[in-house]
This record gives sequence, C-alpha cells and structure tokens, in this order.
Amino acid sequence: MDKGTAARLDDRLERSALGDQFAFEEIVRQHQGMVFSMACHFLRDRSLAEELAQEVFLNLHQNLRSIKSPEHLVFWLRKVTSHRCIDQSRRLKVRPQVSLEDVPEPAIDATENDLFLSEMLRRVVDTLPEKARLVVILRYQEDLDPGEIASVLDMPLNTVKSHLRRSLSSLRDKLSRTLGEVTL
Amino acid sequence: MSRLDDELRKAFRREQPSVDFTTRLLERVSQQPAPKAPWWHRLATLLDPPKLRWVAIGVTASLLLAIGAAQYSRLHQVVINDDGKVSQATPPPEGGNKNLVSPDQINAPRGVLSPKPPQNKRVVYPSPNHRVALARQQQEREFRVEGEAAKEKLMLALSIASAALNDAQKAVHDDGLNP
Repeated sequence: MDKGTAARLDDRLERSALGDQFAFEEIVRQHQGMVFSMACHFLRDRSLAEELAQEVFLNLHQNLRSIKSPEHLVFWLRKVTSHRCIDQSRRLKVRPQVSLEDVPEPAIDATENDLFLSEMLRRVVDTLPEKARLVVILRYQEDLDPGEIASVLDMPLNTVKSHLRRSLSSLRDKLSRTLGEVTL
Repeated sequence: MSRLDDELRKAFRREQPSVDFTTRLLERVSQQPAPKAPWWHRLATLLDPPKLRWVAIGVTASLLLAIGAAQYSRLHQVVINDDGKVSQATPPPEGGNKNLVSPDQINAPRGVLSPKPPQNKRVVYPSPNHRVALARQQQEREFRVEGEAAKEKLMLALSIASAALNDAQKAVHDDGLNP
C-alpha cells in the first residue's frame, strides 16, 4: 500500500470515527466483500451471511474509535466475523452435521466444469469442524499465512498448521476417491 | 503450489453481497444512537489545527480581559477618612487631583512633594481582603448603634412594667388590710 492510499484510508477512518456517514459508507463498501464472503463460505447461506455481515458492521460502527489503523480495521473485521460465524453456527445449528463420507458423489466429470469442482470443494470443506473450516477459509479466501490465521483466531500456530495439514489431507482423499484419475 | 490450492482459491474467492446491502446497513446505523465520544477524545479534537487557532484566540482574549480588570481595580483606589467612612477615588485626570497622592509621592523626599497630601486622609491601595474588613467594620458599627437603641427601649419597657407591678402589689396589699 503506497503512502497516499494509507493516508486516505487513515483519513477515512478518522472521519468515520467523528460521525461522517459518507466515510463509513466507503469503509463498508471496501470491506463488505471480505466480511460477507467469510460468512457465506462458513454458513453456506447467503441471507444468513448478509445478516451476520450487517451485525459485524454495526458492531464496527459502535467501535470505530478503538480502530487505530486500516490494518487494524481489517484484522478486527476478520476476527469479529470469525467469532460471529462460530457463534451463529452453534446457536442456530444451521448446518446439518454431515460426515465427509456422506458427501454426495459428483454426477459429472469435474475437469469439464470448474464451477462444479468448486462447489464440490466447498461441500467437502463444509464437513470440517468449525475451527478447521475457518482456517481453510482464511487461508484460501484471504490468503493469510498460518501465523496470521493463528492471531485472528487466537490459536497456537501449531494448531493452525495441523488443522491445515489434516484438512488438506482429508480433501485430497475425498476428492481423489470421488474424481478418480484427476490428480489434485 | 498444488492444483488443490488453486482450486481451493477459486472455490473460496470473495463474493459480493446484494446491491442494497450498504443502503440497508446505513439505515440501521442511522436508527442506532450515536456512540458518545469519551471526554479525552473531545478534548483532543479541540486541539486539532483548525480549532486550535480559535482556542488560542479565546484563551488570549480571556487573559487580556482578566489583566485589564485587575489593572482597572488597582487604579480605583479606596480612600478612608479618619472618621472611618470609606470613599472611592478615581485616578487623577491630566491636571492632577489635589486631594489624592500617588505611592511615588508618598515615598519621595519631603521637598519634592507638591502638593502636600491632606492631613486628615490616608491613601490605601485596596486589596480584596482589606475591602472585606472595611465593610465588616462598617456593618459592626451600624449593629452597635441599633443595639444601643434597642437596649434603651427595653429599659423603658422594663421600668414601665416595674411601676405597674408595684401599683398592683400595693393595691393587693391595701385590699388585705381592709377586708
């Protein structure tokens, strides 16, 4: 991030904290994709994800004064979204607990349809435990390294690494059994 | 980087919420009570560059007013006569007031003084404590005069009551002697 952009983001944060609604709107528009996608990938329900994202931004509006920098803002949003995703999942039990073995087999060849493969991957990730699922989402949606994931989720680094390793191994197993000859 | 990583990145790429997401959020934000800024934050905003100028101007104006008021009260001297009455004196005009003297004149050698201060007056440069003491003395004097008057009235009332009692006692005594 160049100095001009950083200064503009700082200014936007400061104005939002002082009650400037336009500055807050810009912040929301900039980060809504990240917050909504995390919730959507975790909950697998667009309307629930939108509701959760709204709650996160309302919470942000109440806590704008505690945000110190644009980097802190992104960190704060990821952390709060992660915690709210887990809370939501536990409270509503929206996601039926499907075991990895029960994921339906694909009906067509995945190599012919990338969208189908993506959906297959999302379904398989959906069978992972909550924390492991968040680790995968933060790793592949937000492109965070294990250290950053550990700090967002308040988890030891080794736990994050082991979650990633086990999740990828499970995914490989499942997909190679499902897709057969396709090497992943 | 394996193909699985690539596929996971594709599967978990960011998506956007519905188009009215921001509008709905801002509506909800406007319905919420505005978060109240802590006092140190409000104080800090006063020290922001554009506001700081006005704060500095305000502080300077207040200081000038305070200094001016102090100077004005110093120039208004209080003169106490020998009979205890307090009178205010204004600073001498250009030509000079012959009844008042300045501190320089008091401290100067006798030959230099012109004109001489009147003998029955002394000049006092008042301080707030001094003024309070003078006012208190004046009040005590008035109380004393009122007290004397009240005492005289009381003595008169007592003597009248005493005479009436004597008459009554005498009448009772006379009735006892002549049944």
